[in-house]
Amino acid sequence: MENFTNEAIDTKQLPRYEAISLTPLHAKYWNVQLINLLVVFFILGIAVGVIWYSAEELSNYGLPILVAFLVVFSVSILLNRLAFKKKAFAFRNHDVIYRSGLIATSTMVIPYNRVQHVALHEGFVSRIFGLAKVEIFTAGGNSSDLEIPGIAKEEAENIKQLLMGKIQKQL
Amino acid sequence: MEANFNQPQRQSPIGILVIFVDSLQKFARAFLPLVLIVMFKADTLSKIFVFLGIVGLLLLVGVVAYLRYLNFTFYIDAEHDEFIVSDGIINKTKTTIQLNKIQQVNIHQNIIQRLIGIYALSVDTAGSDKKEGDIKAISHDLALALKAKLLDNELQKSQKVTEFSEENEPKVTVSNEVHPFLKISLSSLFKVGITSNYVRSIGLILTFFFTILDNLRNIGKDDVIDGDKIEKLVDNYPVIYSILFFIIVLFTIVFLINIGRTVIKYFDLTISKQKGSLLMSYGLINTESTILKPEKVQIVNLSQNYFQKKLNVLEIKIKQAISDEKKQKKALIEIPGCNATERDEILKLIFKQLPEKGVKMLPNFRKLVFSIFLTIVLPLTGFYFFGKRIDAEVFKYTHFAIFYTVFSLIIHFFGFRNYRLFISDNHIIKQSGAWDVDHEIIEIKKIQALTTSQLFWHKNLNIGSLTMHTAGGSLTFYLGQYDTIKDYVNLWLYEIETSDSNWM
Repeated sequence: MENFTNEAIDTKQLPRYEAISLTPLHAKYWNVQLINLLVVFFILGIAVGVIWYSAEELSNYGLPILVAFLVVFSVSILLNRLAFKKKAFAFRNHDVIYRSGLIATSTMVIPYNRVQHVALHEGFVSRIFGLAKVEIFTAGGNSSDLEIPGIAKEEAENIKQLLMGKIQKQL
Repeated sequence: MEANFNQPQRQSPIGILVIFVDSLQKFARAFLPLVLIVMFKADTLSKIFVFLGIVGLLLLVGVVAYLRYLNFTFYIDAEHDEFIVSDGIINKTKTTIQLNKIQQVNIHQNIIQRLIGIYALSVDTAGSDKKEGDIKAISHDLALALKAKLLDNELQKSQKVTEFSEENEPKVTVSNEVHPFLKISLSSLFKVGITSNYVRSIGLILTFFFTILDNLRNIGKDDVIDGDKIEKLVDNYPVIYSILFFIIVLFTIVFLINIGRTVIKYFDLTISKQKGSLLMSYGLINTESTILKPEKVQIVNLSQNYFQKKLNVLEIKIKQAISDEKKQKKALIEIPGCNATERDEILKLIFKQLPEKGVKMLPNFRKLVFSIFLTIVLPLTGFYFFGKRIDAEVFKYTHFAIFYTVFSLIIHFFGFRNYRLFISDNHIIKQSGAWDVDHEIIEIKKIQALTTSQLFWHKNLNIGSLTMHTAGGSLTFYLGQYDTIKDYVNLWLYEIETSDSNWM
C-alpha cells in the first residue's frame, strides 16, 4: 500500500467491491434463456434441413450433418449454462455491481451518483415467467450502460424505485 | 455594445444572399443531373425554354430564400432561460434549447459569408445529433454578444457550483475582454505537417494512384503510360535507385499534402481565455471559432512522436462529453503544434493544475506475447500451411513475410515499452503507442463507471484489465497487476461516491 500518497484514508479499510457476495440471477431466467436458444436452433435447424434437402451432393452426408448440428446445439447450451452461472449482481449503498462473462469475467461498478436514468424491460418470454430486466444508463454512452436481466418483476420494481430515490437525492 | 435578445429578431438582411446560395446548392444537388441532360439533349428551340426554366427556378429559389429569411427568428426567453429558434415557411419548427444544456457555441464563416462579412452561429447540446439553433447570417458583433449571452447563464451556474464544490479557486473573471494567450505560429504548423499523419496521407495517395491507374486501364488506353519507356528508364538505373526515387517522390508529396492540409485547416490558430473558457479560432478559408468549457472536458490526449519531440511540437486532442457515438467526431477538438510550455498552459486551464505522472503501473509481459501471437504467429502459420498444402507459389513472397515479421516485432516491442498507466491523486494518465506516443489524461472525479475484467486462465497469475468509462469515451489498461487494480477501483469508488463533484 506504500503506493498511495493519500494518507487521510486507510485504503485497507475501504469496502471492497470484489469481496461482496453477489446475488445470482433468478433460477427461472435459465428457462427464458433455454427457450430463446431452442427458438434460435429450431429456425437454424429448419434452414439446415432445407439446404440439405435441396442440395443433392449433400444427400449422403445426412447423418454427419445431424450429429454436427446436435453437437453445436449441446455445446451452446452448456456454454450458456456456464455463462448463466457467472452472471450475478449486487446493489450496495452507493453503487451497483454486475458480473458477467465466461472466458473473460468482467465486473462493472456504477456509482449511483453517475446514473442518469433507470428503465424496466420485460421481454415476451420473460413476462411469462414473471421476470424483468433492469437497465441502468449513465452519461458514458453504450459502453458504460448496464443491463441486469432475470430479476423477479416485483424485485425489479423495487430496485427501480430505490435507484430513482437515490438519483433524486443527488439532484 | 449591449444587444437585446429578448425580442424575436431576424438575421442580417444581407443574409438573404447566404440563404439564397444555400437553397440554390440544395436545389442544384437535386436537379443538376436533370438540367444537364436536358441541356445537352435538347435542340435549339427547347434550349430557350430550358433557359427560361432556369431563370424561373432562380427566381423561385430567391423567393424561397426571402421567405425563409422572413420566417426565421431567434430570441432568448429570459424568464425560462431558453434560447428559442423558429424556422420554416410551411412547416413551422420551433426549437427550444435550455441555456444550461448548451455545450458549445460555434461561430464560423464559409467563403460566401466571408465575402459579405457576416458569420454563422450554431449552438450545440449534448442531446441530439442534429445541429440545433443554426443561425446562418449574423454580424460579428451580434454573434459575439449572443454568444456571451448564451454562455452567461452557464457562468452563473458554474459559479453556484464552484461555491459548493471543493475547488479552492473559482476561476471566474468577469471582464469581457479577450486575452489571447496562445497563438500557434506558422512554423509550428509546418513542423506538425511534416511530422504527422504519414500513414493516412500515404493511404490517400495510393488510393488516388490506383484509382487513376485502374481508370486508365478500363478505358483501354495503355499507351497513356508507355510501358516500354518506363522499362527503359528503369533498366538504365539499378533497381535500388528507382525504388529510392519512388520513395523520395512519395514522401515529398506526403509532406506537401500534410503541410498544405494542416496550414489551411489550422491557419492562425488563436486560443484565448474568456470567463474561464477556452476560445479557439482558426482556418484559412473557412474560419471556425469554438468555445470549450473546462468542466465539459473528459479526456485530453497528448500525442507526440520522435521527430516531434526533437522539434518540440505536440498535438492535443480534447474529447468532451457526448451522449451519441456518432457525435464523437464533432465533440473532438484538436490543437496541433503547440510546444511544451503552451501545453502546460492549456492543461492548467482545463484541469486547474498540471496533471502529474503519479504511481506507475506496468503491463504484464503476456501482453507482448499475446499481441505477437495474434499478429505474427497466427498469420505466419497460416502462410506456411497455405504454401505447404495449397499453393507453393506464395513462398516466393517469403521476404515480404520476413519484412512484416521484423517490422511488427519492432512496433510491438516499442508499443509494449511505452504502455503504462500513471495514477496520481486526481488524474489518471495512460501512455501508449509505438511511434506516436499518446498520453491520455482523465480526471478521477469524471469517471462514470469502472469495469475490471479477467480471463479465466489469468486467475492464478493475478493479472487483469481495467476500463474507466467517462462521458467522452473509455480508457482501457490491459493486463496489469489485478490486486493493485482492485485496490485502486475501491479507492476511486470511495472518492466518487463521497463527493458531489460536478462531472460535466
